[in-house]
Amino acid sequence: MTDADEATSRGEPTDNDGDTSVVTTTGLTKEYGGRPIFEGVDLDIASGAMTAVIGPNGIGKTTLLKTLLGHVDPTAGTVTYTGPNVDRPMGYLPQEPAFRPQFTVNETVDFYASLVDAAVDTERLLGEVNLSEARNRRVSALSGGMRRLLAVAQAVLGDPPVVCCDEPASGLDPSMARRVFESLAGRAADGMAVVVASHTLSLVETYADHVVILESGGVAAAGSPTDLIERYDAADLWDVYDTVIDPTAGDDPATSDGAARRGDDGPTERESVASDATADTGGQS
Amino acid sequence: MSSLTIMSTLIRRELRTAARTRSYYLLGLAVGGILLGLTFGGGGAATGYIPTVVDLLLPLEVLVPIVAVAIGYRAVPSDLDRGEVAMLDTYAVSPSAYVGAVYLGRAAVLSAIVGVALLVVGLVVAAVAAPDTGVFATHSGVDSPILFGRFLVVTLLFGNALVAVVLVASIAVTSARTAIVAAIGAVLVVVVGGEAAILLGVLDGVFNEATLRLALGFVPNSAYRGLVFETVVGVLSAGESGYASPLISMIGLVLWTVASLGAAAGLLRWRIG
Repeated sequence: MTDADEATSRGEPTDNDGDTSVVTTTGLTKEYGGRPIFEGVDLDIASGAMTAVIGPNGIGKTTLLKTLLGHVDPTAGTVTYTGPNVDRPMGYLPQEPAFRPQFTVNETVDFYASLVDAAVDTERLLGEVNLSEARNRRVSALSGGMRRLLAVAQAVLGDPPVVCCDEPASGLDPSMARRVFESLAGRAADGMAVVVASHTLSLVETYADHVVILESGGVAAAGSPTDLIERYDAADLWDVYDTVIDPTAGDDPATSDGAARRGDDGPTERESVASDATADTGGQS
Repeated sequence: MSSLTIMSTLIRRELRTAARTRSYYLLGLAVGGILLGLTFGGGGAATGYIPTVVDLLLPLEVLVPIVAVAIGYRAVPSDLDRGEVAMLDTYAVSPSAYVGAVYLGRAAVLSAIVGVALLVVGLVVAAVAAPDTGVFATHSGVDSPILFGRFLVVTLLFGNALVAVVLVASIAVTSARTAIVAAIGAVLVVVVGGEAAILLGVLDGVFNEATLRLALGFVPNSAYRGLVFETVVGVLSAGESGYASPLISMIGLVLWTVASLGAAAGLLRWRIG
């Protein structure tokens, strides 16, 4: 995509096959106790695209997602949903998802499936998140990663027009993390508007159509990964992130050291993505 | 999707959750054991239903709130902590439907635990008490299983009002850990605080006979005690006991239940935005 800077700085989506905006935020501001979390955020979330929100810990990514969902009231500004009128306009994957431990994976999906009008192919859904073999396992016996996969299945259940995923790859092994992003990108390709808040920049660079970089105060930069990389003359999204983000922003000391960040995560992720020829186990060992 | 379908789905889940929670079975055994112990220890079992009711009334005023706290304090906070309430909010599940379903599920648990225990006590009384306790036709002066059945129903009404109080208190705090403190605090305020306030009012001469009866009906424990005196124990003696109006007591317990559930739904709506 090669949209003008003016458009990308507004957080507009990539020009993805003429996709239309399904959620629009205007001047979105959130303060807690007088302390601004973000200010004047204007976003257009497009259907048929994956929009990734990245930024340091504590910068307001989760709050932004919750504001989109209507779970947090903005201090100022508006969120407008312009998608189809359905029972479930937005799906949600929380940052720390969990389910009732007394139920099996199958029962959990069946429960949520019974809350939507659309027919749900549970088999296919569980296969998509690599939980088919664990379908009769109780939630209490699942690993943290598997619970996240179950939450991913829940989030996209019934094909809501918009799905907001808070750290969908957190706690997953690299191959499963890639699979989750692939799955979400597939949903986006089918017309869903997928919004992810993520620290896994290599996956964001690979799968996101549009990236919104949050910094203290609001949107620091926005655009497609390739556009951002070109604009900042960077090698990859990590470089863009390092250039754009104030090292003192957020509450995560690690984010102040770009080299350390790359050393910790970047190459490992890249290697795993590039050479991922192993079978996806979904952490079901 | 209709609200009725959603509600029945949520209620089914609550009942299945309860049925699969082992601690409830242990709680049931403990409650049953305590009530049977009191029944035999108090000697009521050998003499009839009403003596048994008199033996159990005060212990149940303590035991039922404990059961209500035990089964209710984590119900909503656990789902909030897990993010399940936020996930459910993306479906067409309203806070009212969710709170209603959770309440009905927990009320069913309390009803099963306390109800089955009292049923067993009733059967024991039927088996060991004097022959005239087998009379089912009720009229003044005759001990009867029907009176014990009334006692059971009134006890469940009292317990399920307290479950609603526990739910609203637990939603008012931020985590499952603090929920137990809030639930115990709320029950203490409602149960002990209400009666203490009435006692102070009586000592200060605030109440006349009519306003006292009214006030007693709106404190859960007093309302429960009043209902038991008026509809169970008092049946054996001529005239009214003068303790509390059964109608006001009934309205009081229903009001506590409905108002607490309304407040719980409102609080939950506020918590999830």
